[in-house]
Amino acid sequence: MSKLLELKNIIKKYPGVTALDNVSMSFKSGEVHAIMGENGAGKSTLIKIISGAIEPTDGIIVTADRKEYDCMTPARSKDNGIGVVYQEFTLIPSLSVADNIFLGNKVGGRILVDFAEMNRRAESLFEELKVNIDPQEMVSQLSTAQQQVVEIAKAVSRDARLIIMDEPSSALAASEVEGLFSIIRRLRSKGIAIIYISHRIDEIFEISDTISILRDGRYITTKVIGEITRSELITYMVGRELSEKFPERKVKLGEIVLQIENLTGKDNFDINLSLRKGEILGLAGLVGSGRTELAKMIYGAAKIESGDIIIKGKKIHITSPDIAISQGIGLIPEDRKTEGVQLEMPIDWNITIMILKEISHYTVVSLKKINEISKKYADRFAIKTPDLQQLVKNLSGGNQQKVVLAKILAAKTDIILFDEPTRGIDIGAKHEIYKLMNELVEEGISIIVISSEMEELMGMSDRILVLHEGRITGEVMKKEFSQDKIMALASGM
Amino acid sequence: METNKMTMDNIEKNSLAKINNRKIDSKNKFDISNFVYHNMAWIIFAILMVVFTCLSENFLTFRNLISILNQNAYVIVAATGITFIMMSGAIDLSIGYQMAVNGIICSLLLTKYQWPVLLVILVSIVIGCVLSLVNVILSIQLSLPQIFVSLGTMTIYQGIAYVISQSQTISGFPKAFSYLGQGSVGPIPFAIIIMLIFFLIMSFILNRTYFGRYVFALGGNEEAARLAGINVKKVRIMIAIIAGAFVGLATMMLISRIGSTQASTGPGTEFTVLTGVLLGGVSIRGGEGKLSGVLAGILILALLSNGMQLAGMGAYYQFIAKGVIMLAALGFDVYQMNRRRRIKKVSKG
Repeated sequence: MSKLLELKNIIKKYPGVTALDNVSMSFKSGEVHAIMGENGAGKSTLIKIISGAIEPTDGIIVTADRKEYDCMTPARSKDNGIGVVYQEFTLIPSLSVADNIFLGNKVGGRILVDFAEMNRRAESLFEELKVNIDPQEMVSQLSTAQQQVVEIAKAVSRDARLIIMDEPSSALAASEVEGLFSIIRRLRSKGIAIIYISHRIDEIFEISDTISILRDGRYITTKVIGEITRSELITYMVGRELSEKFPERKVKLGEIVLQIENLTGKDNFDINLSLRKGEILGLAGLVGSGRTELAKMIYGAAKIESGDIIIKGKKIHITSPDIAISQGIGLIPEDRKTEGVQLEMPIDWNITIMILKEISHYTVVSLKKINEISKKYADRFAIKTPDLQQLVKNLSGGNQQKVVLAKILAAKTDIILFDEPTRGIDIGAKHEIYKLMNELVEEGISIIVISSEMEELMGMSDRILVLHEGRITGEVMKKEFSQDKIMALASGM
Repeated sequence: METNKMTMDNIEKNSLAKINNRKIDSKNKFDISNFVYHNMAWIIFAILMVVFTCLSENFLTFRNLISILNQNAYVIVAATGITFIMMSGAIDLSIGYQMAVNGIICSLLLTKYQWPVLLVILVSIVIGCVLSLVNVILSIQLSLPQIFVSLGTMTIYQGIAYVISQSQTISGFPKAFSYLGQGSVGPIPFAIIIMLIFFLIMSFILNRTYFGRYVFALGGNEEAARLAGINVKKVRIMIAIIAGAFVGLATMMLISRIGSTQASTGPGTEFTVLTGVLLGGVSIRGGEGKLSGVLAGILILALLSNGMQLAGMGAYYQFIAKGVIMLAALGFDVYQMNRRRRIKKVSKG
């Protein structure tokens, strides 16, 4: 194992903030090196410095050939075998797999493409990775997991010796992650170094050899996998002891506030469920089981084909979100960036956007009220921001999620549907959201939560309904909670 | 909290099953819905051929068909060039008036200044490139999408055309020139031969060269193309030059056939080209489509136009019909978009 890359005393300053403060790290060949830290810890900044997208303010980068540089450039990092697999795919949908892998690199003569050769090389790449994808298939026809493999193949085709993977599993379903790990292990066995960025602690422990932790731009420590426990890792990341136990609550359940009878839609069949006041009802299921679609139907965002929704005893015909909202139902959507917030609008407008009518006087919106209300929620939820006029796109994922929650609560909803509330959020922010959820139900709000993280669902719910291919296959009460039981129901057994 | 052992074992066994997609028998299966979807334009074309044959006994004659093809040869040549622009995700609305300016300048060179025919044809190609390049250069400098820039240049070119021609009709081209649009090699008009040659050349470039891949890449995901190291500006400039050259050639074919030109000769072509390209399966967003589809699309419009003419529909009724077809073509494009799965963008943490 040789040192492929070393960072020495890297400092990166932006006006008003130090993103990286004296960070030193080294990466060895044939090793999966995870970098962990809360949002804002400096992980993305570090990655951008390694790939050459930005320059450090100070510090030295040492490449495999022992040359020292004060910065990397895209060309230099490419020459040194550094490749990046981003979270957002950079593929051309209408071109084939092989076309995409070799895009920008000439395979063939000077003007003509040698398709046969391109396909041949793609085949051999896939053979090395031990996957079996058709190089002539159009990329738009592939699943997300397959597309990610193509992205990885792209990096490998450029003779990358060090591949950075930024949240690679966030686009994948649980069953597809194993495939990803298979490939990572193959790459590792070939001596390729992998820098793995993820929030998912389970995965980190499964796939990585070494973990480095950043906190607030500072380098904390590097540990070999066997020498650190989960709680130690979390303590390093968060800077304080954070129990992984889910926050407890004491709530007396009230009468039934929401009842669904024989609800059928495009992806759901014959759904029956009831929700009590103060209850957190979990919805479990595999990707594609219809959970999000069910939530959207309740919220009026998806078409209901048959069945009834009864809210606080009254049968309501919900055909659009504004009807659901007027009945007190709110939705925290799965993809907050595209469905939950207006990225280009400031925090205060985002929080009050659902109640503009109420805080207006003859169509003129009261800026004072906007300020008042958004400040109330920002304080209560501890939204980290220098001011409320900050554009939401500049907030971290956790804080963005808090804005969505504030928006829903400002609209005085008391039945809230959470769809993957902590996806892509670091452990510290996750716990803040759990605490908030508890506070809400203690105040009499009722919650339905959809989550693919089993521990989260079991830790937060009073009871769990399991969906499989659009139908409810079972209900599990708190005392019977077990991953095996829920997975079995989710798989249709 | 432990991870689920039971499921992990199962998954371990089929760990790559979710990724591997090659099925042994899938290659030979003939999927009829796929076939229809991919060849929609030609199927519509075939249906129209049948319909018109039934409606009129004069339709399916060599003379009539060649005539239709001949009349539209210049449109196909222009469309071939414009397809490149659209595949790369841009739109140029000014080509009609590019043709007007080009036609007027070149016809003046032919008549008033008596320049040799071949030279003038060359000049028209150069002018075509320049007029087209203006759009791209402005688009780069102003950081504006080409479609908006072309709204501006379209009007400028219109003005230039009227100014230079002084609103007069120019005619009286030398005999050698009319060979381009009116001559034939045996029974086949020269225009059709040119159209076929250039169509095949462009098809080859689009499908078999790196440049062709870059065109697709720009339209499919410009940012990804940039990240892959493709010089987006350079490619756009090349596309503009190619498209401009073709529009120039098309202009020559047109004015040679009708024997005269005025400032209003040419405009209207962009509409036909745009509709034909969309009907042929090239997406308005770029990144997909086939040149052969474009050929079918233009021919469909040619048949409809011919049919409407024979049915005695006035020009204004034809406008209504054309508008309806354009909307239908756009609707088809959207239908295509929805049918394809798209690259999933993941929200960051």
